[in-house]
Amino acid sequence: MASKYIALPKGVSEKDFDAAIVKFREILGNDSVLTSAEQLAPYTKTMMPVSDAEHTLSAALLATTVEQIQKIVAVCNQYKVPIWTISTGKNLGYGSAAPAERGQVVLDLKRMNRILEVDKDLAFALVEPGVTYQQLYDYIKEHKLGLWLSMPAPTAIAGPVGNTLDRGVGYTPYGEQFLFACGMEVVLANGEVLRTGMGSMPNSNTWQVFKWGYGPYLDGIFTQSNYGIVTKFGFWLMPAPPAFKPFAIQYQHEEDIVEIVETIRPLRISGVIPNAVVIAHALYEAPVTAKRSDYVSGPGSIPDEAVHRIMKDHKLGIWNVYAALYGTQEQIDVNWKIVMEAFLRSGKAKILTEEEVAEDAAFTYRAKLMCGEMTLTEFSLYNWRGGGGSMWFAPVSQARGSETLKQMALTKQILAKYGLDYSGEFIVGMRDMHHIVDVLYDKTDPEQVKAAYQCFDELLTEFSARGYGTYRVNTAFMDKVAETYGPVQRNIHKTLKKALDPNGILAPGKSGIR
Amino acid sequence: MKRLKLKASAFFFISAAMLMNNAWSEQEYKPDAGFVWKDGAEIYAKVCAYCHEANVGPKILNRELPVAYIRAIVRSGILAMPAFRSSEIDDESLAKLANFISQKASQH
Repeated sequence: MASKYIALPKGVSEKDFDAAIVKFREILGNDSVLTSAEQLAPYTKTMMPVSDAEHTLSAALLATTVEQIQKIVAVCNQYKVPIWTISTGKNLGYGSAAPAERGQVVLDLKRMNRILEVDKDLAFALVEPGVTYQQLYDYIKEHKLGLWLSMPAPTAIAGPVGNTLDRGVGYTPYGEQFLFACGMEVVLANGEVLRTGMGSMPNSNTWQVFKWGYGPYLDGIFTQSNYGIVTKFGFWLMPAPPAFKPFAIQYQHEEDIVEIVETIRPLRISGVIPNAVVIAHALYEAPVTAKRSDYVSGPGSIPDEAVHRIMKDHKLGIWNVYAALYGTQEQIDVNWKIVMEAFLRSGKAKILTEEEVAEDAAFTYRAKLMCGEMTLTEFSLYNWRGGGGSMWFAPVSQARGSETLKQMALTKQILAKYGLDYSGEFIVGMRDMHHIVDVLYDKTDPEQVKAAYQCFDELLTEFSARGYGTYRVNTAFMDKVAETYGPVQRNIHKTLKKALDPNGILAPGKSGIR
Repeated sequence: MKRLKLKASAFFFISAAMLMNNAWSEQEYKPDAGFVWKDGAEIYAKVCAYCHEANVGPKILNRELPVAYIRAIVRSGILAMPAFRSSEIDDESLAKLANFISQKASQH
């Protein structure tokens, strides 16, 4: 007999699942427990090169309170039902809203969307998981709080809780977002509610201002993990500076990445350039105004000759550096002089400011990202190949020119082997670089799907063989990446999992942890 | 017997934790219904327009697209366009959004 569900959790009988669903309905009401194919359709679309059936959920639970979540985990423990928690569900290119494993129940916290506090003087926020950056942005504007957000490129539709918990990055001086997290409330698998740091102390008013609390620092174990369900999240906001000067620097040769990085590193470490600078390849920026089909047709990766024509037609460098200065006008004037001197030294750089490129669509969206304004223009990347296939390949590199050149060349070579293009950028951290490559392919073309999967697998294999670790990955490759960090770390993750979630009900498979 | 006792104390602990959490919530946060969409125009401006008015997605306004088609695409997504769940745009708000998008230019 056909099941009444579109999928069932692994190892859970339909009878037990029926019983769990009845209890979920008692907790949440009928309308907040979704089980029909039509209701669950929006959760099943992914951009990964695997069948969406491998990540089809069995049900979705729309919880709105901590108390409901406590009751839900009790039911999950009773029937051994695994739940995959999402907040805004817009982890596009990393798995979207779908669970890691077929049959898991999605605990959807999007409706838990209260902004609990924004403190203008101390510049912090405390929010629930469903709050989007757009919602918080509007709140800050409406209340004239003079604070800026740091966001990933899917700004408006994503949110601070999910993005920071997955250790995403933004583009302002607060771009390494988890550095600016301060205090979480977490529902544990046994139903207890933990407030991390100073939040553990009743009547404390320092939960969102002092990160460390007392004893071992715990916040980190609730990021990229499945040890608890974060229901409140505190983080620091950047006071809007009196002046802001975004700029772009273009270079014409791929090997110039060495000079770029060697020039930027001391400026970034010393704080002259305070934000998460981006060094974007021409093919990362081109889709904003260029169409791939105007330059190349048929299978295979785009030839360098076509890339050079795109650069000429669309006024791009092969590398396009986007950075900004922040502060008073006097501070910016002093630092601008230092930046100009450093970049003009070799004669290779072309420096562009708002005066020259204010109308340029790529510059405009990059400038918005660097000052916490809403834009989804980076999604133009998805038009490059079309067909809705995308995976973020995200190895970490030292902020050292020779290393970035090696990583770029290796990535480009492996992508070319599978007929895919290098749409890459480096996001400059304090001493590291997030090398971010959008592996774009047509998900409607079975040959490209196969090629993309094999390509991604080879990228991970080859990079880890050279000691280059991946900082974040989509749900189809989490186990593979976990393996690359070795057995000791994997065992520790497992030990913590057993201690905190003995029945394995919370997001089994997240970061390869079960 | 010992196991029963342990289970009972665990139950008590969880119940106590829940009560304690209720106390925290009431003490620190005023009840707040959370965010709700005002109308179709707001959803269009704060979700759709970032792509469909920015040369990322196709133009969808002033094409008198059928309401049922808009609702289906929003829920299922298409190619690179992500799907939007009822937890993000509830059914009632989606109906307003679909009407907003499908109506004639003069009505915007």
